[in-house]
Amino acid sequence: MRFCATRGAPEFVLVVRFEHVGLRYENGPNVLDDVSFTLEPGSFHFLTGPSGAGKTSLLKLMYLAQRPTKGRIVMFDRDVTAAKRRDLPGLRRRIGVVFQDFRLLNHLTALENVALPLRIAGAKRRQIEAHVSELLAWVGLSGQLEAKPPTLSDGEKQRVAIARAVIGRPRLLLADEPTGNIDLDQGLRVLRLFEELNKIGTTVVIATHDRSLVSTIRLPELRLAEGRLTVHQPARAQPTEGSTRAVPSRGGL
Amino acid sequence: MSLARSELQLHRDPTRRMVGFLIGAMVYLAALAVTGGLMVGTTINRWSDDLRGNLTVQLPGVTAAGAAEATGRIDTVVSTLLETQGVAGARALPRRELLSLLERWLGRGNIPDDLPIPALIDVTLEPGVRIDLDDLQRRLAREVPGARISDNGIVLDRLVRLAHSVQAAALAIVLLVGLAAVAIITFVTRAGLAMHHETIELLHLIGARNNYIARQFVRHVVGVALVGGILGLLAAAGTILGLARVAADIDVFRWPTISLADPQLVALLTLPLVAAVIAMVTARLTVAGALRRLP
Repeated sequence: MRFCATRGAPEFVLVVRFEHVGLRYENGPNVLDDVSFTLEPGSFHFLTGPSGAGKTSLLKLMYLAQRPTKGRIVMFDRDVTAAKRRDLPGLRRRIGVVFQDFRLLNHLTALENVALPLRIAGAKRRQIEAHVSELLAWVGLSGQLEAKPPTLSDGEKQRVAIARAVIGRPRLLLADEPTGNIDLDQGLRVLRLFEELNKIGTTVVIATHDRSLVSTIRLPELRLAEGRLTVHQPARAQPTEGSTRAVPSRGGL
Repeated sequence: MSLARSELQLHRDPTRRMVGFLIGAMVYLAALAVTGGLMVGTTINRWSDDLRGNLTVQLPGVTAAGAAEATGRIDTVVSTLLETQGVAGARALPRRELLSLLERWLGRGNIPDDLPIPALIDVTLEPGVRIDLDDLQRRLAREVPGARISDNGIVLDRLVRLAHSVQAAALAIVLLVGLAAVAIITFVTRAGLAMHHETIELLHLIGARNNYIARQFVRHVVGVALVGGILGLLAAAGTILGLARVAADIDVFRWPTISLADPQLVALLTLPLVAAVIAMVTARLTVAGALRRLP
């Protein structure tokens, strides 16, 4: 798999910036109260917190599936809370998401599922075919190109979902409990994949409540609790204020 | 290696056949209404041409003795006619001419002086002007009791009016059918949006523009409308040909004729296209409205 790193002038200074963001669903309690943090290009974070702390909601705000009830969100240097609707698809294409429930389309083959982001972006058929089969081979699914999701195991579905999230070379990769359905060994494999992407500049955020995973790998942590977010550096790294540019340690892999 | 043509796979939706049938039925009805309207239109033109030529006004018969007295009445009618807009000329046929007409039947010199002979006034109309004959008839009868316009003209005039009403009804049917098509397409597009909302949401989240999603719906309904429309049109052509065969046996003066060779019937060929355009616009607007509700 070749992820060719193109390091010229940076496309943007900040990947994500939340300023006093609050979120509540209609007539419900506040899910997020006053959340502020910044993600710089190339950073790698865990997003942790107990179930129901709002991890998925926070991710939704980041992949533009939800608008905040208060505060300001800047993505790729653009204020998305004030952005026009027609500008959002362009921003969404820079974001790869691995949904907790995968959200694969059951009537399409693995190959077609992974091809979706490229098709949407209007890529040429031949380009799509080359890229997709290469990536699926890389995640170990070269034998299941034409398989439909209902015939795949959870682990395989997850790899399809991950392939779909990364096929468009996203600048920001968001994964919601990507190791929830697989054992630790497979989980580490998945993390190694994310790490590869991170090395070529993709900003990665992995939401998990799996403490064993967090303690295995030393990464800065965005910790959500009671609607607020705090940033924690791994024990050996230097703590910084709110903003981090962490390079993941490979020690645990 | 194969890539699906579209993610939504709308062609597998169970509503497809029903919508195709409904669009076909609508095109069928619209085709018959258009044919009826066009046929009536052609007939009106022919009838109007007849009306444009001239009319005959008839006054009650008088005997030779009363002929002098009748002259005044004839003059009144002629002057009334000449005052009427659209009348180019009015000429009373001299009694002599009338007698010579009758002599053909009764033989020269066989017409008794006490035989009442109606006075006839030949009216020339200005080309291109339509006259309300019922109104003219009333006015003439007021001036000279018993004066009447020859039946032919009046009946044709009423028929032309009836024909116009039929045309208006045909137009109303076509409009109604068009509105029903809009309703059907809106309904089926909404059903499709609901059925595939998960797929649509996903496409939306990974950066699909509204156009990308709308295009799949548009392509689907346009295809269904075209196929249904063409089948409906073929069925209508069958019906029209059948009616034409039955009508061909009737030989009545100025009976409207039906023929698919009529160049105006080319308009029918556009009906499936019109159905497709209606489907395209309706689906696009419906999808755009629904996607506006997504984040």
